[in-house]
Amino acid sequence: MDRNSTPTIGFTCAYTPLPLINAAGCSPYRVLPVGEAPDQAGQLLHDNLCPHVKRVLDRARAGDLPDLAGMVFVNSCDAMRRLSDAWQRVRPDDAVCFLDLPSTSDDNAVRFFAGEISRLATSLRDRFGSQDGPMAIRRSVLRYNRLVEKVERVASRMKKGELAGGRARLQEIYNQAATRSVEEMLPVLDHILEKPKASGREDDGTPVYLFGNVLPDPQAFSLFESCGTKIVDDDFCTGSRQFSTLELSDDEDIWTGLAANILKRPPCARTFIPQNPGKIAEEILERAEQCEAKGIIGHTMKFCDPYLARMPIIREAMKRAGFPLLLLEGDCTLRSIEQQRTRIEAFVEMLR
Amino acid sequence: MMKQYFEDLISGIEAKIADDPGSASPRKRYTLEVAKLGKRLYDGEHTVAWCGVTAPFDLLSAMGVTSCFVEFVGAMLAATGLEGAFMEEAEGAGFTRDTCGYHRSVLGAARKGLMPVPDFLVATTSPCSGGVAVMENLARHFEKDLFVLNIPQAETDQGIQYLADQIRDLVAFVSHHTGRSINEDRLVRSIENTNQMRDYLVEVYRHAAHVPSPVDSRTLSNFGIVMALLLGTESGVEVAHFFASHLAEKAAAGVSGVSREKIRLMWIQNRIQFKNPLLKMIEDSYGAAVIADELNCITWGPIDPDDPFPGMARRSISIPFNDQVARRISLLQEMARSYRVDGAINPCHWGCRQGTGARGMVTDGLKAIGVPVMNLEVDCVDSRNFSEGQLRTRLEAFMEMLEGRPSPW
Repeated sequence: MDRNSTPTIGFTCAYTPLPLINAAGCSPYRVLPVGEAPDQAGQLLHDNLCPHVKRVLDRARAGDLPDLAGMVFVNSCDAMRRLSDAWQRVRPDDAVCFLDLPSTSDDNAVRFFAGEISRLATSLRDRFGSQDGPMAIRRSVLRYNRLVEKVERVASRMKKGELAGGRARLQEIYNQAATRSVEEMLPVLDHILEKPKASGREDDGTPVYLFGNVLPDPQAFSLFESCGTKIVDDDFCTGSRQFSTLELSDDEDIWTGLAANILKRPPCARTFIPQNPGKIAEEILERAEQCEAKGIIGHTMKFCDPYLARMPIIREAMKRAGFPLLLLEGDCTLRSIEQQRTRIEAFVEMLR
Repeated sequence: MMKQYFEDLISGIEAKIADDPGSASPRKRYTLEVAKLGKRLYDGEHTVAWCGVTAPFDLLSAMGVTSCFVEFVGAMLAATGLEGAFMEEAEGAGFTRDTCGYHRSVLGAARKGLMPVPDFLVATTSPCSGGVAVMENLARHFEKDLFVLNIPQAETDQGIQYLADQIRDLVAFVSHHTGRSINEDRLVRSIENTNQMRDYLVEVYRHAAHVPSPVDSRTLSNFGIVMALLLGTESGVEVAHFFASHLAEKAAAGVSGVSREKIRLMWIQNRIQFKNPLLKMIEDSYGAAVIADELNCITWGPIDPDDPFPGMARRSISIPFNDQVARRISLLQEMARSYRVDGAINPCHWGCRQGTGARGMVTDGLKAIGVPVMNLEVDCVDSRNFSEGQLRTRLEAFMEMLEGRPSPW
């Protein structure tokens, strides 16, 4: 499919059911908080909203977007709800669909979210008149699963030091995969995977595990590495969390299947298990140990409530486990990380 | 400490009323009932649940559970001027000052042992994502079971069904933890009380909108949100009835809450919880009174006692902070019209992405119907950040501007 001939639907959250948009004959485009749009979001939103949301709105105000036919917002947090409101003010002609995402993944939640996904499908069909029946969606899911499998292979190469350009290059690929159609992206990934592997990772940095929410700028990872870190694994909603395989059985209701898969994918801080409060800390620790990191760096957006409120739990858990942890707050600019260079370097120095 | 505080408050008010029955103002009765709730939370003799703001308190009451939203504790600490030490405790543990002051003070209080250990917790995803995260923190801290009510954003049939199903599951969860099954008769009585209280609250707000308004800036401060804690109880009905009768008499007699009412104001979101002289200042200097509060409104219909869960679900979903901001603005416009307010004050509670996030859109929405909004920058709970002089100057300028313009009505 060519972007020039297919409607483009913007989205902002890793929980968005992309195969549904693809099956409706549209191309999903993640509006990443990047670029140089003037800082004007404060006219509609309070300054204490997260920079992710404000920068996305700045892009909308500045027209720094492809020709979008609509937007899908997910109820991921208060700030994202306000972005959905402000978007409709700034771009009143866009078709906007708001998906209400439960914060848990029990049976009731799956049933409700299945209804939400079905509503999105109906909305896409009504707007674009395309064939988005269950068979088309299943075919689209298979296409996305191929994409996920290839992205994971590229990520695996990066972890082994076999991807030229390292983590920054991987982020470029993540960003491409989030902003281009699956049909365009599959051959791009094939081409990358066909290239000879780079020689293995040189042991020239201190292995760290990186986690957080939004960090789409490839140069941010270069900057971390220039401070002496070797990023051996990471977990961001602008990174690997966007790409999870969807496993649908043939006899399963399509909406329920999609809902269950999406709700049970690797969670971010906004989704949790009531029976195990604070599990996010265990998951971070587990992944850091698996990748044999010597330390953990958390990088989150300033004013992000779901993460801010859970940082003390994470901090206490790492302290108990004796795992060094550095917490940073950013604002979607390289400048904010650059300002923390000394802290990152000191942390790496301490790990050596 | 808190138990003693509530006991002293109860005995103080009861003694005053006994000495002079005529002094039993509605506000005093309200404070007395809230203090009794506080005592029950802290006396160690009751089954206690810490909750989110939109939990079904009448259901919990019918099941013999003393329940309260955790933000209440933050407000109480601020009102008594004690919040600073608890804020510092939370900040020391890593809760940054960019988070909501209500939540920071609650977390600090829990860490310092000032919150009674609950039997279980009930989180609600509305009104805010910060609130859910705090409940997760508290569940971990207290090592108690947590039930999460996902409150859908829109009042659709599907959303109501989803929440009603969760409330049914909550009944099983509570029964499991208390060892008591639900008593249907008690639930019916509780819902009848809720409906009666609802009717009186509608009257209270109708009288408050009278010109001149029988209320001053303090009469209905925090009223709607705290009265939710008395849902389902006879004392809640009595307090609401007392307010309604009292205000009806004053309105009929044309008695104004402030002397020579000149400027009628609406307060957006929550009040400033710690003691401050600002509202007294605008009352005394400008004849201005806050007669309407965004959260003093009834957005839900009577609940069917024979099938209460869908009605409870509608109530939780319908709060002004849910759904798109367009709905919230429409509710604010409706309130501004019915109360004939001259202006609105939005404290823009620092750390609140939910209520404060849409500041610009709310301002535009009220401006569109001729109601100017004064946006302040204040943490409603953390008095350490309070810039009294700056806020006083801004409010004075706002009052002078309102004095010089015709009423929008």
